[in-house]
Amino acid sequence: MTLTQAVRSTAVESKAQRRATRTRTETGRAPSAYYWMVWPAVIAFAFFHTLPVVVGIFFSFTNYPGYGAWNFVGLSNYVNLFKDDRVLQAYGFSFLFAIVATVLTNAISLAIAMGLNAKIRARNFFRGVYFVPYVLAILVIGYVFQFFFSNSLPKILSGIPLFADNILTNETWAWTAIVALAVWQACAFSIIIYLSGLQTIPAELYEAASLDGASSGRQFRSITFPLISAFFTINVVLSLKGFLQVFDPIVALTNGGPGTSTESVTLLIFRGGFSGGEFAYQTANAVVFFIVITIVSLFQFRVLQRREADF
Amino acid sequence: MTPNPCRIGRLATIVAIAGIVAVTGGCAANPSDGVTTLNFFQFKGEALEDFDDMIAGFEAENPDIKIVQNQVADADTLIRTLLVKDRVPDIITLNANGNFGRLAQAGVFKDFSEEPVLRTINPAVQDILADLGTFGDEVNGLGYVNNANGVIYNKAIFAEQGLEPPETWDEFLAVCDQLQAAGIQPFYGTLADSWTGIPSWNALGAYPAQDGFFDKMRDEGENVGPDSEVSFEKDFAEVMDRQYQLYSYMQDGYRGRTYDDGNAAFANGEAAMLLQGIWATNPIKQVNPDIEMGIFPYPTDDAADRLLVSGVDVVFTMGKESPHEEAAMRFIDYAFRTDVIETFAASQNMVPSVEGAQLSDDPALQSVKPFFDNGQITGFIDHQIPPAIPLIPTDQQFLFDGDVEKALRTLDSEWRKVAARTIPVTTGDDQ
Repeated sequence: MTLTQAVRSTAVESKAQRRATRTRTETGRAPSAYYWMVWPAVIAFAFFHTLPVVVGIFFSFTNYPGYGAWNFVGLSNYVNLFKDDRVLQAYGFSFLFAIVATVLTNAISLAIAMGLNAKIRARNFFRGVYFVPYVLAILVIGYVFQFFFSNSLPKILSGIPLFADNILTNETWAWTAIVALAVWQACAFSIIIYLSGLQTIPAELYEAASLDGASSGRQFRSITFPLISAFFTINVVLSLKGFLQVFDPIVALTNGGPGTSTESVTLLIFRGGFSGGEFAYQTANAVVFFIVITIVSLFQFRVLQRREADF
Repeated sequence: MTPNPCRIGRLATIVAIAGIVAVTGGCAANPSDGVTTLNFFQFKGEALEDFDDMIAGFEAENPDIKIVQNQVADADTLIRTLLVKDRVPDIITLNANGNFGRLAQAGVFKDFSEEPVLRTINPAVQDILADLGTFGDEVNGLGYVNNANGVIYNKAIFAEQGLEPPETWDEFLAVCDQLQAAGIQPFYGTLADSWTGIPSWNALGAYPAQDGFFDKMRDEGENVGPDSEVSFEKDFAEVMDRQYQLYSYMQDGYRGRTYDDGNAAFANGEAAMLLQGIWATNPIKQVNPDIEMGIFPYPTDDAADRLLVSGVDVVFTMGKESPHEEAAMRFIDYAFRTDVIETFAASQNMVPSVEGAQLSDDPALQSVKPFFDNGQITGFIDHQIPPAIPLIPTDQQFLFDGDVEKALRTLDSEWRKVAARTIPVTTGDDQ
């Protein structure tokens, strides 16, 4: 199944399900080869994903420090979470970061994808170039960016106090540097999805529109954007989910600092749980975070799919 | 075709067998040729070769014992896992931090109080270990080599300016002023690495933290605040003021420089002093092998009260009721022999804990020797603070904005929150 189909199938899921039921009753069970493919995946998923999640939820009701003895403590980990201003600050930072980064990533990558879809010289070369950031390891890039922000920029822009004094150590603006790195890397993948969406639009539509005298802005609003709206949905949902869980760009650039001003929820869970010795408490935090992300993603799907164009 | 239940069953069996093989395959039987093989858990990567040499020397004298060194990254996490699984290594070295204290409190380590080797160790060093935490009145670790956290200074610059290492706080500030007046950078700040603010905080905070400050803090628990008997807001205001005062003598742009930048700058004579500890002398010498450095403890109001903050960099211990206890003790006794510990400490640029063991003639080490000899040493106070409290970021933030009240309020409120949510483990016996 191609990505295009995958994206579209979300919209026509219910119809497909009904059809699938009918098909199955008509033709009987599938050949055993399919079971050989499905079962290992189910077992591996359950063993490496579902089971640890369940174990984690279990430990969030205890006072387990990561080793040694423990007791059940009921809901007190959850109660304490809501009283912890450091946790609330981390949620605030994660959401601010995720929303800004999602907007920027989608705006920039849609623009670049349209450029790469046009008939330009050396098109394949540029498509390759824009995909490179996705291939590179984020920690490696992170250290390059860190050098750039703390050594190069202060020299290049020595006239601007914000940059001259290393933006990464500025409590108010350090997060923008992390946004820059995260967006720079995330664009590569979004561009690919937008490109594949743009290629599903038949050229005849544009020909017809230009014969009718539609401006390029009008063409974008009335043809391009509605026809790739399913791709827009998937990109926005994936971006927001990914950016909410931001971790490695922060580790590479500021490590949560200065102070705790760039501490995301995942960084807090990692720090408090592993080096802070509060395994059970941060597991409770992880459970809450999991629920929050699920709700946000479902909400987005509902809102965005409602305004997707039907084909 | 219908699914074949036998086939699925067979598949499950194969998967299960593969799993069992994978789990048990790692175990190997112990050789039974009269040689005891000891498993030596070792945390310090840079001391790998020194321990190899030590083991070789020991095995030459004790042919019936063979020692396998396991040098691991992230030893604190791994040792917990091993303890949970009841696979305690025969000999253990760890860094004596707060984590070591919590493990000792859990009663997993041997009690060394009857061992003769204990009496050869500087009692002040063992006090630092005991402060971290022990199981009852036991002695759960043997301090091996120590570091020193003080102000590193460039001897050439001090001599040129006719300066002596300051002994009181006023002298300290006078030294800074004189250096600044002479156009010499007093300190080199490196706050881009957040932890570099902590050595000076530890050293200045060591003074109010004497006389059981942290015991009282733990007793107060959820009630720590401006009105409790002790609290950061009550007792640490001067520490913060003084730390901030020292940071007013930093070079321009100190917020954006890193630890490595600081070592290089100090090595090249760009600053007269560095707020770091003895661990920085090796990297400094790598940049400039000819530099002459000394270390002095952070001055306080009365010169006689000065304390050098020192941590036990390597502590030897072993599991409770180890099956190879006798053999393991022989190795530990060997390691604490004066000639062996001297070699190790000199190579690691540390202070040996055994009384009478000589320091290497490194001038930096020699300058802190009197404080060890007189027992004027105390432990790192951040080891007493629960790791869930964001001490390093809070102090870094404070050094940026200078808001004493906010920083101390944060520390107290974090202390309260951690105390409130730390629910002690109750065993069946307590109820």
